[in-house]
Amino acid sequence: MPEPLLDRGFLERLERLTIQWQNSLPGLVGGHNTSRFAGSGQEFLDHRQFHHGDDLRAVNWRAFLRLEKLFLKMFQLEPRIPVRLLIDISKSMETGQLDKFHYAQKLAAALCYVGLVRLDSICLQPFSGKLHDAFTASGGRHRFTPAMTFLSGLETTGQTNFLECSRQFCSKYPQRGLTMVISDFLDDRDCEKPIQYLADFGHELILLQVWADEDREPPWEGELELEDAETGQKVELAFDNDARAQYTAAFDAHADLIRKVAERNSGRYLGVPTSVPIEQAIFGPLVRSGAVA
Amino acid sequence: MNFLNLGLGELLGLVGAISAGVVALYLLDRSKRRQLVATLRFWSAADVRTELKHRRRIQQPWSLLLQLLSLALLLTAIAGPQLGIFDVAGRDHVIVLDTSAWMGSRVGQGILMDQAKANARAYLRSIPRRDRVMLVRADALATPATAFESSRGVLESAIQQSQPGASALNLSQALEFADRAQKLQSQRAGEIVFVGAGRVSEEEAALSSVPGNLRVVTTSSAQENVGLRKIGLRRSPTAPDSWDIFVVVRNYGARPQSVDLGLQFSKSPAGSRRLTLRPGSEEQAAFTYPAKTGGFLEARLNVRDAFPQDDRAVMELPPEASARVVVYSDEPQLLRPLFAANPQVNALFESPEKFDPAVKADVVVLDRFSYPLKSNAASIWIQPPASASPVRVSATRTGLRLDKWHPETPLGAGLRTRDVTLESAEVFSPAVGDIVVAETTEGPVIVATEGSKPGESKRVVIGFHPGRGPMKYELATPLLMANILRWMIPGAFRQWEFQAGTVGTVNAAVDKDAKPEQIRVLDDANRSLPFTIDGENLRFFSGAPGTVRVQVGDRETVYSLTLPDVGEEVWRVPAGVHKGVPKAILSEAAPRDLWPWLALLGGIGLLADWLLYGRSRAFRLRASGAMAPHFKKMAQWRKAS
Repeated sequence: MPEPLLDRGFLERLERLTIQWQNSLPGLVGGHNTSRFAGSGQEFLDHRQFHHGDDLRAVNWRAFLRLEKLFLKMFQLEPRIPVRLLIDISKSMETGQLDKFHYAQKLAAALCYVGLVRLDSICLQPFSGKLHDAFTASGGRHRFTPAMTFLSGLETTGQTNFLECSRQFCSKYPQRGLTMVISDFLDDRDCEKPIQYLADFGHELILLQVWADEDREPPWEGELELEDAETGQKVELAFDNDARAQYTAAFDAHADLIRKVAERNSGRYLGVPTSVPIEQAIFGPLVRSGAVA
Repeated sequence: MNFLNLGLGELLGLVGAISAGVVALYLLDRSKRRQLVATLRFWSAADVRTELKHRRRIQQPWSLLLQLLSLALLLTAIAGPQLGIFDVAGRDHVIVLDTSAWMGSRVGQGILMDQAKANARAYLRSIPRRDRVMLVRADALATPATAFESSRGVLESAIQQSQPGASALNLSQALEFADRAQKLQSQRAGEIVFVGAGRVSEEEAALSSVPGNLRVVTTSSAQENVGLRKIGLRRSPTAPDSWDIFVVVRNYGARPQSVDLGLQFSKSPAGSRRLTLRPGSEEQAAFTYPAKTGGFLEARLNVRDAFPQDDRAVMELPPEASARVVVYSDEPQLLRPLFAANPQVNALFESPEKFDPAVKADVVVLDRFSYPLKSNAASIWIQPPASASPVRVSATRTGLRLDKWHPETPLGAGLRTRDVTLESAEVFSPAVGDIVVAETTEGPVIVATEGSKPGESKRVVIGFHPGRGPMKYELATPLLMANILRWMIPGAFRQWEFQAGTVGTVNAAVDKDAKPEQIRVLDDANRSLPFTIDGENLRFFSGAPGTVRVQVGDRETVYSLTLPDVGEEVWRVPAGVHKGVPKAILSEAAPRDLWPWLALLGGIGLLADWLLYGRSRAFRLRASGAMAPHFKKMAQWRKAS
């Protein structure tokens, strides 16, 4: 029997967290985040003129008796919006002394559990060059075991193609929701446009960039023959401390670019090295970013 | 040039092997490292790839050459190269260090041995370090302290541990030993160096047959010394209560000396004498001192000289031994001349009525009566009753002619009579093992029993009265009694002599017919020492101070070998023999060690390689310059995308 991704003690600590989103998204009542959309909520939002067809139960009869005009009371909606986890399963996630893919699996499992506890609807959507089969879990924590089984069964495959995956995602999931992307964002092509594409379709983005220490600051020195984990392409070069510093600067610039795209679209960005324990990553940077609270 | 630690072939082999290893490691270190990465977008651009594709197998040949050169220098330093000396083997020298007793004589604030040690160390410093040296300590015996040794530390330690001995220098033996050691063990013979005062015996003073490679480093030996040479003591033959003491004193110096010789017995003055000695001469002083009791006799020379060890000698003397003889007789006047005449016999005469079976005596004499004895004392039975005789009486006869003595027995030794007829005598039937001393025609009349069983003591049964009849006037009668008493209590009649002499070879006079199996030479612990007999001369060797006893029959000589043996004269070094420490060798042949310079050069080479080609700051700067264009291109590509 495979070892569970998360232990019981960690799951108990996750139960007090809630996935937070910032945008007002439409959806059925039953969520836990407020929305600017009016609906059948409990909290009073505003009044508006009565129109034919409106629910008479929402008419403010006291105002009608005083002013002899029909005003309709509007209530704040707490919609139940879908939470979708896009998990990168491309070959590049395998690299690094500490496995990025395994780290991403655990991170996705933790977020899935947090959502399930708050009765959110969680969609686990793996991707690499395309979208793979998804798994949707909702209805409480008892649905977590199948979700974890699904996550454990994932294997790395293919080459990342963010643009294609974004297109497929937008067509597959027309309902706007919270989209959390767990990836190393190391696509040889540009990943700025695909992210922007998702945001333009109204999805609230939380970008979780996972990297190994070797990805950001390669420890090697001397003459190297590098092979791309996804394409198999090889490069021979000489590497030293100064080159390393410039490499790290380039990596940081790339990460900063992703962060800016996220922030520009009212989303959130979080970079997590695999050397940071998963528990510390969730209760530290992830909570501070407001993705969970 | 010479290599101290490695041969040239060994060095070349070592350099070759290590160079091969270094080249292999160098190539391994400089070879490409294959690595799987997530993306290549942050790595270098295509220009770098082109450059590396055509790179040489060895990128930094000067670095490799510098490393190889540095390692070769370091290995050569380890090999220990020396400049100036081209003989590889070195020579083997023997230092014969004089450790005779004379080396303990005072000179200045120290002793002669200190000077000799300093000279030996100076010689060691003067010879090349690769030369091997054997240290031989020479006194009466030549003893090797080290084998042929190249370590100066070991040799200096052995020199430092050398101490003056107690015996005189046997120079010819020491030189012969050194010569033989060089011939047998050395690869290339060097010098034989004698270091010491060279005070030897008179026979060796003119020793001229010395090895041709001999060098002599002498110490000052002109000290004045007067010392005790020999002390002899024995009981005076005329007055057994007194000791005759002979003291021999020698003047070893070059000036005449007048010294006071004093004797003390048990801390009481026993005599003194003023002696005047000419240079190189001996004087003998004789003393007589009455002493029955035992004690310590000390002879002392009241003189301040260079060698105080031979100015005093102490000997322990035993008390005078005497035998207690109790005679039970009704006619003591007949036996009194036989027993009371001997000063070593303390005779007590009692009547038979006062007989005590448990009497405390060495010898009990029972005159014509019998009574069982309970004590362990030896007994002499004179005409015992036939019924109670310890030896069965076969008959009692009169007019028996005493016609045979047995001189082969210790009891009958030296006894003879002529035409003696005994008026009345008992004839015995001796048992097996009994000793027959005298016989008549009828049978034995004097029989002795050894008392072989435990608890039995020696017995002599005489069948006639020696103080009556014709035996009263025979010379054999007192001699018979003397033989009987000497046989029964030999310790009381042992002749003691004491000699205080010098350590080394001791010569003692023995009888011409003395048999080696009857001679015992015993040390302090009663262990037998080896000895040789040459005619009337017994010779043994004692290398350490102590007491040696020489027992020959009933005569015992005690040698108290506590006086140091000092040679009588200083060896006259033959002409042509090298003298002194060879200072020239030090300056001319001192090798110049190159290893510090080679090691320094090797270290500088490795440091330069590390600074120029290693992963140091200089290398980083150089490499960053090479990578800068690639990163610039990468930034441009990013902008374009």
